[in-house]
Amino acid sequence: MKLTVEALRTALLATADAIEQQKDELTDLDREIGDGDHGINMSRGFQGVKKELEVQNSLADLGELSKLVGMTLIKTVGGASGPLYGTAFVKFATKWSGMKSVEGEDLFAGFKEATEGIKSRGKSQAGQKTMVDIWEPFTASLQADSTLEEVIDQALVDTKDLVATKGRASYFGEATKGVQDPGALSSSILLKNIVEVLHD
Amino acid sequence: MINLILVSHSEKLATGLKELLAEMVPSIEILVAAGLEGGKIGTEVSRIEQAFSQISDDALILTDIGSATMNAELALELYTGKHTIRFVDVPLVEGSFLAAVLSGQGQRIDQIVTELEQEYLSKEKTN
Repeated sequence: MKLTVEALRTALLATADAIEQQKDELTDLDREIGDGDHGINMSRGFQGVKKELEVQNSLADLGELSKLVGMTLIKTVGGASGPLYGTAFVKFATKWSGMKSVEGEDLFAGFKEATEGIKSRGKSQAGQKTMVDIWEPFTASLQADSTLEEVIDQALVDTKDLVATKGRASYFGEATKGVQDPGALSSSILLKNIVEVLHD
Repeated sequence: MINLILVSHSEKLATGLKELLAEMVPSIEILVAAGLEGGKIGTEVSRIEQAFSQISDDALILTDIGSATMNAELALELYTGKHTIRFVDVPLVEGSFLAAVLSGQGQRIDQIVTELEQEYLSKEKTN
């Protein structure tokens, strides 16, 4: 599996469109167990990314692209998702600096760094019904012989049944069981679009 | 005098707190980085960075919940200015009261952070 600059750019543009389509779903979920702005915030952020990518079509490497995306998300998303997604991309940039494509260990190292970045920014860990519950199993499976799409789907199913113990949703306690975490859902959208462009 | 930066989801909450603190310590310099455009609820990095650009001395950040803390920590990592700015994860209202008084007494940033941590972090778990 290999991720190139052009492939990541394609995945990000596809994510922007997918977020737009699922914007209301993301917001409705967040209304149930959060503050009801996740779809709106993610839409604003990824439309911002799309705009940047349309202007800047000569990004030299994965580090440059990831940094641009991270800083754009930090500036435009707001809420908790801005710093969390922004940090993930800034962490990609630190691992993939100067690289035009990554595979194997390097690919894994980027996702590992991003996942650790999300955990440290949110002071969270797996099992708390957050986006970490998607990023962590996804990252682990990059080194295993598994179908990434299936890993993401299974992680979504597992996350839905958890009780939130972190973030705004944690105030809703048991009521969060059986409701999908909006950050987990938006993470699955992004990661699935990245899986789509990983070349064998 | 150490400045205080209040980061809250609500501009009303932060400006109300600023009024309370000014009553206790009239000379205190307080910057509000709270809410979103149009009076909306939320936090964003850019408002915190704007507050950073206006401080007159070293500064202490206090936050309300969740994303306020994340955005404050992120803004701190991006800060390249000349002052020392520190974040202390203590209750916003009580913590800023103590910080304002200590700042008014002329204490420096490290002393204030130590006092706040001793007062609040040894007694309860942080979220």
